Amino acid sequence: MKKGFLKRLIAPAILGVICLIWILPIAYGVLSSFKSEVEIKDTRFHFIPETWTLDNYKYILENSGNTPIIKWFMNSFLIAVITSVGVALIISLAAYGYTRIKWEYRDQVFYIVLALSFFPQIINIIPLYKIVDTLGWVNKMPAAIVPALASVTNLFLVRQFMLGIPIEFDEAARIDGANDFMIYSRVIMPMLKPVMTVVILFTFTGQWNDLLWPSIVFNDVQKMPLTPGLQLLMGAYGNFNTAPVITAAMISIVPTFILYLFTQKYFLQSLSLSSGVKG
Amino acid sequence: MKRKKKKVNLTHLVFIAPHMIIFIVFIVIPIFFGIYVSFTKWDLIGTPQWVGLDNYKEILFNTKSTFNRQFFDGLKNTVLFVIFNVPLCIVVPLAFALVLHIRPLGSKIYQLVLYLPTLFSITSVGLIWIQLLNRRFGLASVMGAKVQWAITMPYAWIALMIMTVWWTMGSNMVIYQAALGSVPKEEYEAAEMDGAGWFTKLVKITIPSIRFQLLYTLVITIAGSFNVYGQPTIMTRVDLGAGPKINVLVQYIRSIAFGSGQSAAGIASAMAVILGLFITIVSIIQFKMIRSED
Repeated sequence: MKKGFLKRLIAPAILGVICLIWILPIAYGVLSSFKSEVEIKDTRFHFIPETWTLDNYKYILENSGNTPIIKWFMNSFLIAVITSVGVALIISLAAYGYTRIKWEYRDQVFYIVLALSFFPQIINIIPLYKIVDTLGWVNKMPAAIVPALASVTNLFLVRQFMLGIPIEFDEAARIDGANDFMIYSRVIMPMLKPVMTVVILFTFTGQWNDLLWPSIVFNDVQKMPLTPGLQLLMGAYGNFNTAPVITAAMISIVPTFILYLFTQKYFLQSLSLSSGVKG
Repeated sequence: MKRKKKKVNLTHLVFIAPHMIIFIVFIVIPIFFGIYVSFTKWDLIGTPQWVGLDNYKEILFNTKSTFNRQFFDGLKNTVLFVIFNVPLCIVVPLAFALVLHIRPLGSKIYQLVLYLPTLFSITSVGLIWIQLLNRRFGLASVMGAKVQWAITMPYAWIALMIMTVWWTMGSNMVIYQAALGSVPKEEYEAAEMDGAGWFTKLVKITIPSIRFQLLYTLVITIAGSFNVYGQPTIMTRVDLGAGPKINVLVQYIRSIAFGSGQSAAGIASAMAVILGLFITIVSIIQFKMIRSED
């Protein structure tokens, strides 16, 4: 009785209030994108637009000169999609090599990779710039894509998941004459769907939202992705032209939001496996 | 080893090579090159010149140097951020995960809302927060702000922490949710038979059961907090050039190496190595703690 009361009334009520507060900044952002510049700057604070307008969206669609927001959006999208596909492929291959094939010092090699990945990233950012510069990648997409393909967190996640798949599957396929590449692509890969979905969500979101690294390797306004682009807009306009910038920010949250809605059901399932505790 | 006649099978190399090559070129080499550069004078363009410990001496002991002032200002703010942020980013998501775990009505929607901010970039969410904090026309004006919160102490710190918890706590929350899902129900039932209250159950069953995940998130959150960059960067964009600002170490490292003036990549690398040492030492202590607990 007592527990039902808590479950049905008290907990939802408290959570409901907190969630309303939680979503308030985002709601404010979305609503503000429909306000005029004058209304945003109005000293009488109000939440809902007094006059709804699509001017900000029009401004973004039409402007392509010094603030090519649509171009930035496409740049970000390409970077995030290519990285996600690349990570899914490279990480699943590597995880197979570290779990399904037996070779000397296999686990030792993996643990060395893991230990090296714990080195703080901040140390390598300056030399990484030099390497990317030497390769001629400054202001080019590979600068944002290729270094992200070596993610060890994702490798750890997929390896943990693969360790949970019984080896009998491989043995059965091998008896039928399959080699490692066939086992990888036809037996293991289809079973990785939950963990791969989460890896893709993390990779896409990480790339889409990354700020520090792209702000270093992209200085050409036409080539940069959305997140450093928005930062540039804030610097350029300061407090003066807020409405279009807020609108651009609201457009930028759409892709990761949609992706999360589609991947949500695999989410907790894969994370509990990644922690090494079988549910 | 047993069958020496058999041809050496190199299939595994085909599988691990793509990852290994990228890992070595873009992670391993930069780490060692970065440590080397910290002992040199380098402008990112020419050849680094070996100067021994000069960079470290300048940063740590030369009180007349701008780098020394920047380093200690950045270090102070970074350490303060770690101290404020880590407890918040463990306790708040744990509380949410515990409440969501009893599956209250509408828990799916609450889970979505609470996780939502982590999906967005710091520039997007930072922009909204700057507006809300604006003294003249933001929510802060309704709350009677007399000063510009984003650049006035202690409001700047309070705002920074609220924004950070709001933005980042979701990722720890889902880890706790997943962990709570795997705690055996029988243990709770047995405890209930003994008449244990919710607090006893929390301390005696829940916390020990998810100990591994708690320590894991602690390590990740501490390392992440030392590397904080986005939130103060966006917040200090308000009123460019005015007021005292919260500048963290990574911001200084970035501007010393890649700022508008001549690059002092050697100095910046030395700062990065010191920051890296901090993170490594704290992580090692925590791993030791995990070991001794087991």
